[in-house]
Amino acid sequence: MVFILSALGVLLVMGLARVMGFAADPVLDEAQARRRAADALAGFRPQACALAGDGRAALVQGDDGAIALVRPLGDRWVVRRLDGAAVSAGDGALLIRPAEPMFPPTRLALGAAAADWARRLGAGA
Amino acid sequence: MTFPDPVQYAIPLFIIAMVIEMIAIRRGARGAYDWRDTGTSLAMGLGNTLAGAALGGAVVALAFQLWDWRLFTLPLTWWSLALCFVLDDLAYYWFHRSAHRVRWFWASHVIHHSSQHYNLSTALRQTWTGFFSLSFLFRCPLFLLGFHPGLVFFCGGLNLIYQFFIHTESVGRLPRWVEAVMNTPSHHRVHHGTNPAYLDRNYAGVFIVWDRMFGTFVAEDAAEPARYGIVRNLASFNPLWVAVHEWVGIARDLMAARSLRAAWMAMAGPPGWKTGETSDVIRARALVMPPAGQPAE
Repeated sequence: MVFILSALGVLLVMGLARVMGFAADPVLDEAQARRRAADALAGFRPQACALAGDGRAALVQGDDGAIALVRPLGDRWVVRRLDGAAVSAGDGALLIRPAEPMFPPTRLALGAAAADWARRLGAGA
Repeated sequence: MTFPDPVQYAIPLFIIAMVIEMIAIRRGARGAYDWRDTGTSLAMGLGNTLAGAALGGAVVALAFQLWDWRLFTLPLTWWSLALCFVLDDLAYYWFHRSAHRVRWFWASHVIHHSSQHYNLSTALRQTWTGFFSLSFLFRCPLFLLGFHPGLVFFCGGLNLIYQFFIHTESVGRLPRWVEAVMNTPSHHRVHHGTNPAYLDRNYAGVFIVWDRMFGTFVAEDAAEPARYGIVRNLASFNPLWVAVHEWVGIARDLMAARSLRAAWMAMAGPPGWKTGETSDVIRARALVMPPAGQPAE
């Protein structure tokens, strides 16, 4: 009985949070993407940045050449250094699959910059 | 002698408090919620309750076995309740410190830190694998001292209820004497921060004096707002992945280990040992190489 009431409580609070508008899907600008990468990765000094057209993901390159992916999780952001990620390019977009279980593939529409970033990531455009 | 489980009675209070916090935030109080994050946190709390129901009996049986071997027979009275509460909180401090410094324990405790939010629902983001990580061992000295297991678990429940209420950004600083003695929202925000200066600090449950005594206290700095979460934040809200991701990491590192030392450190070393991203390394690196725009110390 306690379990059922608790489960109902979970649904109630989740639903209430949704109804009250705690459901943001924020977008990034380049400065925010750089800051997110620098905050998340110890010693990472961001330089170049490529922002996805919808502002929902970004690639940031550090001064050591390493490239970080910034992608959303709910109303927050997740950052990963892209070591060993599978990258495919086409139609002005990159599809990135970090070598990590349960990390969702991320599509970045980069337009003309896609080929350059694919090269930086070691993938053919 | 039977003791009530105070946490079960507090569940309606938890729900009411979360609703009040959400309303307060909508009216301008500091804080944030995300319904997906909250759903995961509450699912973890629910799973924790189920895991406790399934496996808690073994812990209770162990507690009574140890109590049979007790050094003293302590009466059930007001002073033994107070003493038990304080000593249980001390045991919690060492459990919690170990849970951040030993990966085997961290694999279970990381769940609680895996949200990038810090609100009352985060408090309920609890492990499903606490039994497996042997976290109950830290309470064993209390049973051997002679505290009745029911009393110890009752005090543990009160401790958990207290900690629920400090998981909020909506409360700033409390009066100075409270901040000096008690764990508070301010102190615990530091604990949930991934900022290099905040990593692995303020392990207290109820009394912050343990951190002051054992050198792990850091005060919240208004100029350094906490960035909540873990060093490598999860990219999924899937509760099952939240529950097991670090255990999977341990298994992968064990399989990749090429020496006994590497295998041992994969389990008993500090979190981040393999990648060189322990909290000590991150803190040291931040001191010599701060983010662009900040001076080195």
